[in-house]
Amino acid sequence: MKNSVLYVFFLMAVTLSGFAQEQKMSAAEVTSFKNGVNATAKNTKTLTTDFVQFKHMDFLSKDIETSGKMSFKAPAMLLWQYTKPYQYSVVFKNNKITINDAGKKSAMDMGNSKMFNKLNKLIVGSVSGNVFDEAEFTITYFKTAEYNITKLVPKDAALKKYINQMELYFDKKNMVAQVKMIEPSNDYTTIVFKNKVVNAPVPDSVFSN
Amino acid sequence: MRRYQILFFLISSCLLLSGCAVKTVKGFEQQAPAVTNYPVTYFSDAKTDYVYKAHIAIYGRDFGGIFIAKKINDTLYRAAFTTEFGNKLFDFEITDTSFKVNYILEELDKALIVNTLKRDFMLLLKQNHAVQEQYKDNQNTVYKSDAGKRSNYLFIDKTSGQLAKIVNATKSKEKTIISYTPQSNILAKNIVIEHKNIKLKIELNYLEQ
Repeated sequence: MKNSVLYVFFLMAVTLSGFAQEQKMSAAEVTSFKNGVNATAKNTKTLTTDFVQFKHMDFLSKDIETSGKMSFKAPAMLLWQYTKPYQYSVVFKNNKITINDAGKKSAMDMGNSKMFNKLNKLIVGSVSGNVFDEAEFTITYFKTAEYNITKLVPKDAALKKYINQMELYFDKKNMVAQVKMIEPSNDYTTIVFKNKVVNAPVPDSVFSN
Repeated sequence: MRRYQILFFLISSCLLLSGCAVKTVKGFEQQAPAVTNYPVTYFSDAKTDYVYKAHIAIYGRDFGGIFIAKKINDTLYRAAFTTEFGNKLFDFEITDTSFKVNYILEELDKALIVNTLKRDFMLLLKQNHAVQEQYKDNQNTVYKSDAGKRSNYLFIDKTSGQLAKIVNATKSKEKTIISYTPQSNILAKNIVIEHKNIKLKIELNYLEQ
């Protein structure tokens, strides 16, 4: 009797997890999804959103939570601003990265660094949805009831040292809702976007540090 | 003539020696040690994730990041450092007598950097200091603890009863100073690690989670 209860429970668990599980997209679904995301990205002139970042490390009792605001303006201006629990902002603009760390300012030229260019492209790409770079990544596509999921594995050896896999969760309106970056050690960072505002006027002055 | 030379040599070596004696407890009154061991309690709570915003100033350049320390068991600590975006830069396992690199970013994996980090974080997370000598002035009780060719001077603030700073020194020179601003006996809200022989300063500010 006890065994059969267990069996039913087990069966239910498997069935339930089956529903929530990711399914691989068919070739036709991939094409239609990519077209949808590309069209949305093309029409996204500006984007502002709040975000919450969770840093997971195996040995910690809970994830480290930080949060802030992000502003994007096409083609490639990006402000990434942490406001809690500390003030830290990064601006990507004209091939330069400027950092304001609670008043301490510094700048970096991305032109000299292939690595930074790739990271920048990945960050801007994951925000704008322009990420289907088959030359840089091995890409696989999945779907759940809520999300379409793109999993990118870097091909470049230098990038591979930083990122084992990048997962982008798109909502059914083809906007990025969540980004998960898995490190070679399998620790990961999850960034959840909320309160998105698309194509509201964003002045260039926002992108200064 | 030769006698004057010898005299000159003797006088100058005397001046040299006295000029070089470490100044850490100069003017302090030596006492018989009241304890044989001083346990540092700032990182001692195994339930706390010790998460700090870090500023590193090295030879005129500034870096930011997140420093994380966690007591895993009675003897073992994990110490990790990530960027604000969550990318891990290093991850060490530290006990009072051992040091193991779980991960370090290739760009940082240089003997000079690893040895400096090892020395700093082993000192920061050292739990037990065997006491050989004791000193006092109006403000502090100082325990001197031998550490190989160097010594650690632990300054205990008489008013608060808390560890205020550790000076790591050779017989003649102070090398590293760790200063603490305590929040409680198990938590320092601000920690500054300052090097005297190289231009390196690490400041840690506790992040309330």
